[in-house]
Amino acid sequence: MNNLAFATIKDLRTKLDNKEISAKELAQFFTQRFADHDSTIQSALEIFQVDSVLNASEQKGTLYGIPGLIKDNISQQDRGLTCASKILQNFTAVYDATATARLKQEGALLLGRANMDEFAMGSSGETSAYQITKNPWDTTRVPGGSSSGSAAAVAAGLVPWTLGTDTGGSVRQPAAFCNLVGIKPTYGLVSRYGIVAYGSSLDQIGVMTRTVYDNALVLSVIAGHDPKDSSSLAVAKKDYTASLDGKIPTGLRIGIVENALYADGMDNEVITAIEQAVKVLEGLGATIKRIKLPALDYSAATYFIISRAEAASNLARFDGVRYGLRDKNSASLHDMYFNTRHDGFGAEVRTRILIGNYVLSAGYADAYYENAKKVQHIMTQEFLDAYKEVDLVIMPTAPCAAFKFGAFAQDKLQMDLQDYFTCAANLTGMPAIGIPCGMTSEQLPIGLQLYGKHLSEELIYKVAHAYQEATAWHTMHAQI
Amino acid sequence: MAKISKEDVLKIAHISHITIHDNEVDALVDRLEHVLSYAARVQEIGADVKVHSMKNVNVLREDVAVPFDAQLILARAPESQEHYFVVPAILDSNK
Repeated sequence: MNNLAFATIKDLRTKLDNKEISAKELAQFFTQRFADHDSTIQSALEIFQVDSVLNASEQKGTLYGIPGLIKDNISQQDRGLTCASKILQNFTAVYDATATARLKQEGALLLGRANMDEFAMGSSGETSAYQITKNPWDTTRVPGGSSSGSAAAVAAGLVPWTLGTDTGGSVRQPAAFCNLVGIKPTYGLVSRYGIVAYGSSLDQIGVMTRTVYDNALVLSVIAGHDPKDSSSLAVAKKDYTASLDGKIPTGLRIGIVENALYADGMDNEVITAIEQAVKVLEGLGATIKRIKLPALDYSAATYFIISRAEAASNLARFDGVRYGLRDKNSASLHDMYFNTRHDGFGAEVRTRILIGNYVLSAGYADAYYENAKKVQHIMTQEFLDAYKEVDLVIMPTAPCAAFKFGAFAQDKLQMDLQDYFTCAANLTGMPAIGIPCGMTSEQLPIGLQLYGKHLSEELIYKVAHAYQEATAWHTMHAQI
Repeated sequence: MAKISKEDVLKIAHISHITIHDNEVDALVDRLEHVLSYAARVQEIGADVKVHSMKNVNVLREDVAVPFDAQLILARAPESQEHYFVVPAILDSNK
C-alpha cells in the first residue's frame, strides 16, 4: 500500500477504475497517513472522519475517490474555517465555496483543512496561530507560505493534491520549496466565492500537485464562470489535460527576464538550475529570447501597497460583533472592537492592517496607493508588450531554496521580498505556474515559473508537462 | 527613509480599530519605516507617468433576494438575541 502515498491522481484513477481499490479504502489510507506522519509535519489543522468525508461528495465524477486537502481560508460547509487565526477559532463555514462545491460534485474526497499563514499573510507558514508546518524535505526548514500546509501535505505524500490561495505567490513559492507543481490561474478563472478575502483584486485559488497532469485535472474541475463572483470571467469549462502530449508548440518563444534571473540576492544554485531548465526547453524546440521587464523591480513594492491596502479594508469586518472572537471584558463597544482585534489577530496581521491604512490615509494615498496603481498599469503594459515578442516568460519562483525557521525574524522586509518573482502575476492578473527544476547541494528543491498572457493556462500546462516528460525532478520526493 | 513617529503608529492604530500596547509601539515604528521606505520606490516611476491608475470597475447584476435562515448566521455570533446581534453599550450612561 505504501506505493499509494506518492501515487499521482492519474495512477489512483486507474486503480479505482480497475476496482483494485475503493474510494473508501483510499480515504482510509490517506487519513491514516495523516495519523502516522502529521504529528511531525503539522500540515493539517483538522482531518475529518472518513464517513463524513465520503458522505459529503458525489459517488462519481472526474475526481471520484481522490483525496485532497483544502486550505483553511476556503469554505467547506459546516466545517471549521479559521484562516489559522485566533479571531476565527470556533467559526464554521455557512456554505461551500464554489471551488469546494465543484470538487464535491466531481466526487473529490475533502479530507480536512490545511494549515496556513494567518489570513494568508506570510511566506513561511510561521504566522499560523495554531501550529508551525514543517518542510518534509528538511523539518528544520519552512515549507514556504502562505499555503504552508497545502504544500507540505502533498510533499509528504499525505494527499495527492491540495487547494491553496495565491495573492502574491502563496501557492507557487511553497510549491518551489516542497518540489511541487503550483498554479496561480488568470484572475477571474476560478471563482473567489467562499474564500476569505485578503487582497480581493489579487486573490486566486490555486492547485498544488506533484505532476502537471494532475494539476491540470484539478483546475479543470474548479475553473469556469461563476455568477456569484463579480470578477469571474465569462470562460467556459474546459479540460486542461487535453493538450498535454509531451510536445511544445512549433516555434514556441520563451523569454528569459534578465533583470529577474540576475537580480541582487539570487542564490547561485537557483540561477544554475534555471539556466539548465532553459537548455532543456531549447532542446525541446523552444527559441529563447532575452528580455527586460524594468517595472518588475518595482513589483514587490507595488504589491506591498496594494495588498496591504485591500487587507486593511477586508479585515475590517472582524470586529467581534457578527462572528468569531469577542473580548468579553470590554465595557464599551469601542473598547470591544479595539481589544478583540488586538487579541484576535497575530502581530503580522496587525502590522499589515496598519500599513494598509497608512498607505490609504489622507496625505499618503497619493504617494503610495495612487503611485502603486500606476506602476501596476505600467507593469501590465510591459508584460503585454513582451508577449508580442515571446509566448511565455521564464523566471525563478523564489530567490533561494527553503530557509530555516526564524531566518528572517530580525529582518521581515527580506522575508517580504520572497514575493519578488511571484507577485507580478497577481498584479497583472496573468497566470503563472511553478514547477520543480532542480536540487541544491543540500538536497532542497528549486522551482521555476512560467508566466503567460491572460487565459494561456493551456499553453502553460502544455509546456510545463513537456518539461516534466523530459526531466525527473518532479519524481523525487521527501523521505518520510 | 520614511520617517514614522510613535504618534503616527498610534493614529493609524486608532483608524484601524486596534489596541496597541506600549511595549508594541517601537517594533511597529521600526517595521513600518522599513516597509514604507522600500515601498516608496513606486514614486520613482509612478510620479512622472501620466497614465490613469488602474481603477477597478463595478460589475452589476439584478438584486434578487434569496431566502436564508437567519439563525444560521446568528448562531455564529458571539452574542445574539432573537433576530439581533448583541453588542456592549455604545453610550456610557454615566456621562
